[in-house]
Amino acid sequence: MSQLPCVDMTLLDGILERYPREEPSLIQVLQDVQRTYNYLPCEVLERVASALGVPLAKVFSVSTFYKAFSLTPQGRVVIKVCTGTACHIRGAGQLIDEVQRRLRIGPGETTEDLGFTLQTVNCVGACAMAPVVIVGEKYVGAAKASDLAKHLGATEGGDHAN
Amino acid sequence: MPRLVIDGKTVVAKEGTFLLQAARDAGIDIPTLCEHPAVEPYGGCRLCLVDVTRPEWDGWSKMVVSCLFPVEDGILVSTRSERVTQTRKVVLDLLLARCPETPLVQELAAEHGIDRTSYVPNPEPTDCILCGLCTRICDRLGTSAISSANRGVGREIAPPFHEAPPDCIGCLACAEICPTGFIQYQSGSARRVIWNKEFKMLRCPTCGRGHITEDQARYYDGRNGVPARYFEPCDACKRKEQAAIAVSLMAAPEGR
Repeated sequence: MSQLPCVDMTLLDGILERYPREEPSLIQVLQDVQRTYNYLPCEVLERVASALGVPLAKVFSVSTFYKAFSLTPQGRVVIKVCTGTACHIRGAGQLIDEVQRRLRIGPGETTEDLGFTLQTVNCVGACAMAPVVIVGEKYVGAAKASDLAKHLGATEGGDHAN
Repeated sequence: MPRLVIDGKTVVAKEGTFLLQAARDAGIDIPTLCEHPAVEPYGGCRLCLVDVTRPEWDGWSKMVVSCLFPVEDGILVSTRSERVTQTRKVVLDLLLARCPETPLVQELAAEHGIDRTSYVPNPEPTDCILCGLCTRICDRLGTSAISSANRGVGREIAPPFHEAPPDCIGCLACAEICPTGFIQYQSGSARRVIWNKEFKMLRCPTCGRGHITEDQARYYDGRNGVPARYFEPCDACKRKEQAAIAVSLMAAPEGR
């Protein structure tokens, strides 16, 4: 069932220790797993299911329901390009093209070295500073395609951004 | 006991029942797709919409799904007001767009005067109407082996990771309850395959027919105090055995 066999299961023990072993803990545990592993590995989900006494199908259902969870490895830095109306009008498309050109990943994809993931989001509620790109935790307002490299390079994502 | 009026008919309903049941008990038909007596109401298909009002509401009314609306004393219910039929038509129109090739949906839509969807038909037609009956019956009778996955337009019924579900016992409850035949399986005397998982059948010691899966027998063992050997003979042979006992008792006068 596992595509990536080398997952450090000891990290999960630390997460499970923090919550009561019952169904209501599921989302918190999954959030911690996502943060720790940068995705939800199959074998970790299986362990979570048995530890919390929740059917695996329910764990899978929750894992695929929320956008915050991913079943495939995400980059260390997630680049979110806002494609809401204001950002779209002010050139979100060019920003996506620029990321695509530099990192060779399309929306929803991750670079091979797991440095970056590109996502498009619908609206981040910062229309006044459109177009907006969120690089990791940093909000970049009035983003320009020509400045993107600088912002990508300043992160821990990797050095091939230049 | 709550007294209410459904389509002009005064109905006395049992406390705690839902409108849908009260209407059906009164002989009033309301269409449904996600309702089944074996599982809790779900409110997923939205076909059982009805209008609810009260005399003191001055003509204002609210639309509710009757399968989840508890009966109340003094309410006036309409199961086929203009608003209800129109909304039901929209629901069926959308369902037909999703499942353009599904006979059950086609028939139900035709009954409501829709021969063709007014939306763009699904380019990848499916028979799954997302009624959730399969996952609910699996939660109730089986092992919660399947669930809904994803959300919005991408929502689907799937086993974990889209692989053969590890918890599935091959009881076929999901396939049997599926109103559209979306869930496919093969079952013979030796093996059964559902959700891409293969099961070995347990053969009846009397007639040799494979009647339940080995996984089912293991799962049922000891449940509700029923021992595993109860599941060894098939239902037909069990009935024959019971009948033979009954006949022998009738034949012997002292057995009465």
